[in-house]
Amino acid sequence: MSAQSMTNPVPVFDAYRVVSGLFDEMFDLERRPRPGCARVVADLLARDPGRLAELRARADGMFLRMGVTFNVYGMEEGSEKIFPFDPIPRVIDAATWAHLEAGLTQRVRALNAFIQDVYGAGEILKDGVVPRDLVLGCPQYLRAAVGLTPPHGTFVTVAGIDLVRGADGRFYVLEDNVRTPSGVSYVIQNRVVMTRLLPDLVRASGVRSVENYPADLLESLCELAPGGKSRPKVALLTPGIYNSAFFEHVFLSHQMGIELVEGHDLVCVDHKVFMKTVHGLEQIDVLYRRIDDDFLDPVVFRSDSILGVAGITAAIRAGNVSVANGFGTGIADDKAIFAYTPAIVRYYLNEEPLLPIVETHVLSDPDVRRMVLRDLDRFVVKPTNASGGYGVIIGPKATYRQLIEAREGIERDPSHFIAQPVVQLSVHPTLLGEGGGADIYAPRHVDLRPFVLLGKRPRVLPGGLTRVALREGSLIVNSSQGGGSKDTWVLER
Amino acid sequence: MIYRIRHTTHFIYDKPAYESHNEVRVTPRSSPNQRCLSFDLEVTPKAAVLAYDDSFKNHVHAISVHPPHDAFTIVATSVVERLAPRPSTPLRVPFGEFLAEDAARSAQHFEFLNPSTFVPFSERLRKFFWSARPAPTETVVEYTMRIVRYVRDQFEYEKDKTNVHSGVDDILSAGGGVCQDFAHLTIGLLRLAGLPARYVSGYLAPRPGVVSDYADQASHAWIEVLLPGAGWTGFDPTLRSRTTDHHIRIAVGRDYADVPPLRGVYRSAGSTGDMRVELSIQRDGENDPGVVRAQMRNQSQQ
Amino acid sequence: MLRRIADSLFWAARYLERAEWRARLVSVNHNLLIEGPAPAGNPWSSMLAISGDQELFEQHYEDVDERSVLTFFVLDERNPSSIRSCIDAARANARSLRHRISSELWLELNTLHLDAKQWTVARLGTSEVFDFFSQLQERFYRIAGVMNGTLPRGVGFDFLGLGILLERAENVTRLLDIKYHYLLPRVEDVGGPIDLLQWTAVLRSASALEAYRMKYGNLIRTESVVEMLLFDSTFPRSARYCVDRLETALRRVAQAAPEPAPGAVELASDGLAGLLASRSASEVISSGLHDFLIDVQEECERISSAVFDQYLRFE
Repeated sequence: MSAQSMTNPVPVFDAYRVVSGLFDEMFDLERRPRPGCARVVADLLARDPGRLAELRARADGMFLRMGVTFNVYGMEEGSEKIFPFDPIPRVIDAATWAHLEAGLTQRVRALNAFIQDVYGAGEILKDGVVPRDLVLGCPQYLRAAVGLTPPHGTFVTVAGIDLVRGADGRFYVLEDNVRTPSGVSYVIQNRVVMTRLLPDLVRASGVRSVENYPADLLESLCELAPGGKSRPKVALLTPGIYNSAFFEHVFLSHQMGIELVEGHDLVCVDHKVFMKTVHGLEQIDVLYRRIDDDFLDPVVFRSDSILGVAGITAAIRAGNVSVANGFGTGIADDKAIFAYTPAIVRYYLNEEPLLPIVETHVLSDPDVRRMVLRDLDRFVVKPTNASGGYGVIIGPKATYRQLIEAREGIERDPSHFIAQPVVQLSVHPTLLGEGGGADIYAPRHVDLRPFVLLGKRPRVLPGGLTRVALREGSLIVNSSQGGGSKDTWVLER
Repeated sequence: MIYRIRHTTHFIYDKPAYESHNEVRVTPRSSPNQRCLSFDLEVTPKAAVLAYDDSFKNHVHAISVHPPHDAFTIVATSVVERLAPRPSTPLRVPFGEFLAEDAARSAQHFEFLNPSTFVPFSERLRKFFWSARPAPTETVVEYTMRIVRYVRDQFEYEKDKTNVHSGVDDILSAGGGVCQDFAHLTIGLLRLAGLPARYVSGYLAPRPGVVSDYADQASHAWIEVLLPGAGWTGFDPTLRSRTTDHHIRIAVGRDYADVPPLRGVYRSAGSTGDMRVELSIQRDGENDPGVVRAQMRNQSQQ
Repeated sequence: MLRRIADSLFWAARYLERAEWRARLVSVNHNLLIEGPAPAGNPWSSMLAISGDQELFEQHYEDVDERSVLTFFVLDERNPSSIRSCIDAARANARSLRHRISSELWLELNTLHLDAKQWTVARLGTSEVFDFFSQLQERFYRIAGVMNGTLPRGVGFDFLGLGILLERAENVTRLLDIKYHYLLPRVEDVGGPIDLLQWTAVLRSASALEAYRMKYGNLIRTESVVEMLLFDSTFPRSARYCVDRLETALRRVAQAAPEPAPGAVELASDGLAGLLASRSASEVISSGLHDFLIDVQEECERISSAVFDQYLRFE
């Protein structure tokens, strides 16, 4: 399909503006489809505009029936929402993906090595590559993890690396997530829905499948079995129905065919972990835990936690159970360490990082701090121990008052913040909501969260979760703050 | 000096306890001044015991008892050789000079220079520090001894003013406390001055002929300070002095939170667990063991 | 199967069955009081006496009349046995295992719960009552249908069954006891119109009237009713039918153990099975029906405890 076939664009298509200064994922500045996008443009965008709205409505219905919902933290029970879905898929051509895949694998291997090192010999600290006080002062550095040696040295089994694409078209790492990254269930369900809605287009496009993820995840988990046990008992530990990602916990445990357990279903006896079943105690070998480190073991962490399993850290230490991801991995995804991640890649792998990070300023350096504070409204300021986008100040959008508060916070405690220049995230054609005219689409900012599995051999899920900021100009893509998602297609060729 | 130590921790529950998971730190550490010649741990009822070393190289036992039990007893028996501390000659470094190296020290000894759970750098602590701050010409050692005495002079030894969860602000308000509190407070002041200081838990062996005010304590707490040219040097803020060969070291950490002799959780239909501790320390060559019996605070439960 | 899940299944089913029995009891007695000859005294008082919740009622209500009694039995959240309370409890139990039951079943339970939140006293005004209860009964039948139609047969399904069957056996014996023991007429009224109406109400409360007539014809005799509701192995709401299926379910659960015990398993239901197998309606009536019914209830309690101890005990 070439650009010439679109000699009669429909009015809606004409109205789509490709803006210079922003990278449009689907179109270049001459409004030609980018590599791999021609078919989608021709079959989906350049046709009857009402069809897109209809597709979205059908998709919503499917998601509702499938129960693909999430709970917004703090909202009343009964207010489950569907994570808004946009039917225009994001396409990544094979060559681009090959580069991303290599970069992601490299990065996660390095982060895992870093975690192993800081809880072991600490060589990178002795060599001064990462400041020791930064690591020890990080609240996610858990002293209880010192000396632990998980099977194959794997602390991180699942990683979600947030990528953004700048105006130059290059992908940059925005943030790492190596504790309990979530979102992969949407990736899989989005594909299920798209395949039902547009079976011919999906097939003709040659999209790489994502349906093997649960099997791959299970395999990676089984590889952690203590003593290399051949058919280990695996379970998924969830905080329960009030957790915003509960749907994903249910989904993954079903897909993997493993038991979904809560803390009070488990008990430690003789430093081994058991499930309380109707027929007695059944030992667990590997636990895929989706609860925060803090709540994992009331003996060692928060003593008021009822979500975890008392005595589990002793069982881990005894080598009787393996946990994924291991506790203490938060040291590698703390924003304070982020600026050092390129050095971390070089240190452990002796390679140049394939994926650059978004320029990150560590504000504890007085010169750097001065530079940032002088132009605070040009930066995104992030606290080093918040999550979910809350507490982030986006300079150009912030109110005067917010900027003052950010400045005060930085001056009071510079080590609690980092600053990054505002990245003009790439945009992607996205259907507008009702009121904007349901049959019109416009560019909206997107990011990408690919998922990496570290097992005996690292595996990267083709594509990942493309999150889209539904409000015009908004850069915040999180589900809890008005974002939605798209199916992500990595082409086979 | 050879000490034979027997440290018994005994719990009695009003209703049976079960699924009890604990961590104990009761093994004397080995160091240049102290050798643990033997150690034995006996737990009743039969328990699962896992030994490991924590991030401060304290020897820890993870002890779990699963079935219901009315009582729980841990007996730690050890033989420790305590050598007289080597005479150390800390360099006479005036504070003005000492602070020039702050940045390097701050990275290397981060954990012992910064606030911790029981030693936050609160407004009150800062004010207290300021009231006794070092003079630029005062040497580091002089300052340390001054502070060690200063804290003890300002506060009474009183058992009921604070509890095991009290931090530095609590002793500052209460005006009195026990060895744990003196240690925390002294550590806070020293850290604010830029001196790496750490918390030590252990035992104070009774000295013949000395009637101690603290005879009914089991665990004792003191501090160690990293002095230029002398390494980690022990001071006892409760006794206003350097440590002697009567101080038997068990565990070190940033503060009490890192070294509780016992920490854990258990389930029970009842609500109270009574904890009793008995400590007997006998010097080789003595006939009567100095027995110390103490009623300790209740353990928390789930 | 996790204990917690089995426990929630068991209780969800029990509460649902309890709600259904309450609904039937209240609606039938309501009809009785409206349609039948006026018995002596306040008719609503005897309904209260029947339920055994009189004390609780008196804590919250001044007058004993239609409105207050119906409110108490149907809507009152302070009454743990009210229909609304039972539905809430059933749904609360089902919620924690929502991902293990079919989405259709969850939808039914959740919708019923949401609708029950909207019930008002006004809907229980005299002209609406009949419709209210007949629609409610339909909901219960539909839920049972969805349960049977969508849930795979396994250990989970057996625990649902255990909950339903135990609740059912208890309720049918209590129903009999109420009529026989509490509403015992004066000797001269036995066989009279009031007695007859009451026995008819009993059968209706168990949805057994038509089955009774098919087996015994139009004549309603105490002995036949007792036979139908206690000893008949074919009628779905008889105690005998329940214990037969309890046995089957318990045996299946025992056999599902990773290492099932060899040979015949001693089942918690053996006591009750023995009790119901060894007697007949006429024997039991002459030796004392009330005592027998108490024995049956005690056996049910024993089975429930045994199931709890063996399979569900959590802490």
